Amino acid sequence: MEKIIGLLDKYYMVYLQGLWGTLWISAVTVLCGTLLGLLIAALRMSRSKLLNSFAGAYIEVLRGTPILLQLYFFWIGLPKLLPFELSDTMCIVVALVINASAYISEIIRAGINAVDKGQWEAARSVGLSEIHMMTHVIMPQAVKNILPALCNEFITTVKGTSLASVFFVGELMTSYKSVQAATFLALQSLTIVGVIYFLLNFILSRLLRVLERRLTASD
Amino acid sequence: MTDEIIRTENLKKSFGDLEVLKGISTTIRQGEVVSIIGPSGGGKSTFLRCLNLLEQPTEGKVYFKGQDITDKKLNTSKFRQRMGMVFQNFNVFPNMTVLDNVTLAPILEKKVPKAQAREEALALLRRVGLEEKANEYPRKLSGGQKQRLAIVRALAMQPEVMLFDEPTSALDPEMVKEVLNVIMELTRSGMTCLIVTHEMGFAREVSDRVLFICDGVIKEEGSPDQIFTCPHDPSTIKFLSMVL
Repeated sequence: MEKIIGLLDKYYMVYLQGLWGTLWISAVTVLCGTLLGLLIAALRMSRSKLLNSFAGAYIEVLRGTPILLQLYFFWIGLPKLLPFELSDTMCIVVALVINASAYISEIIRAGINAVDKGQWEAARSVGLSEIHMMTHVIMPQAVKNILPALCNEFITTVKGTSLASVFFVGELMTSYKSVQAATFLALQSLTIVGVIYFLLNFILSRLLRVLERRLTASD
Repeated sequence: MTDEIIRTENLKKSFGDLEVLKGISTTIRQGEVVSIIGPSGGGKSTFLRCLNLLEQPTEGKVYFKGQDITDKKLNTSKFRQRMGMVFQNFNVFPNMTVLDNVTLAPILEKKVPKAQAREEALALLRRVGLEEKANEYPRKLSGGQKQRLAIVRALAMQPEVMLFDEPTSALDPEMVKEVLNVIMELTRSGMTCLIVTHEMGFAREVSDRVLFICDGVIKEEGSPDQIFTCPHDPSTIKFLSMVL
């Protein structure tokens, strides 16, 4: 315990920096992953066979390979493919976003498919355009199916960012490694980082639960 | 005929290997009330759902006021706006209030000003006794109220035809009448109605014409009196002997 306090006293800036890293990487991953996931879900549900199979393959490949492999792949591959410089951190963020989008797109698709078929028919029968049907009738109902699974996915994403420490991109696990390397106090440093992760996810899940309750208020 | 509103020509629909409609040709005239009766699985609902293209016909044509609406180039939703539909399971939108259920399509698709859409919706809701429920969510309504709401939602688009797909089949017995009364009032106001129903007494009372659909074809059609008192086709006779 004393050692933990000692570590905190001396290295709190390192942990705070790590926390900041985890926070922004998570936020970007969740936000961009959701937007990209929405797009992939739309492709997956489109009537075009080509778009449909593209999205299907995208999802299968990303779900069928380890995330760590994907991180390596983008970390090595992206700089070679792109004509401009991209930092290690950005390569990793791109990989995390793409990985998250595959899972999120399936959550969104399942949520949309769970809306009663009669709702689609009723919306069409009153002459709503396909866009208006989605925005006013289907999506508001799908959101309630999507939210609980999406909240889980957000938390998984936050924890998943720890893998980025393999590449020393400056999130919480990287902080652990730095402090451990400087002090050899592995367990103590792990405990500190573990508590921060736990608190972060605990607060996040509580916030999401409140949000969920608000959005499902009409039931 | 100048007053025809819907005409089908050799309408066929298959689901996989199963041919549900085997060629239906009929004409519905302006102001006509047509009941469609027949055994379950005979194609009644599928026929109705082909008319507003909720099911895409496999073969044949559907003309709405002379225009072939199976033409893929046409904007389907524009035609659907002119044909109201009421479903067995109501399918009211649970995520919005009763009033919003009614005003949604007029505001979005016909660009009716909000205040005006609201006025018209309230007038319609009053007609079916739901005015005081305007700001409730549908989950608070009974089955009969939901179905009346569904009817009003369709009417708000000022359709030229109303399609009813077994509108009372999912209702508790004590609520059937309130819904039938609304439909009856509608037929009296001159609305063209196609009603798929198992309520034989009702069909007999409101219809100008009855179609008996069985095995994917119109086996017999005629005035309600003729169909119900002296049916000719053996399958009609058999069906009516079982339900009456």
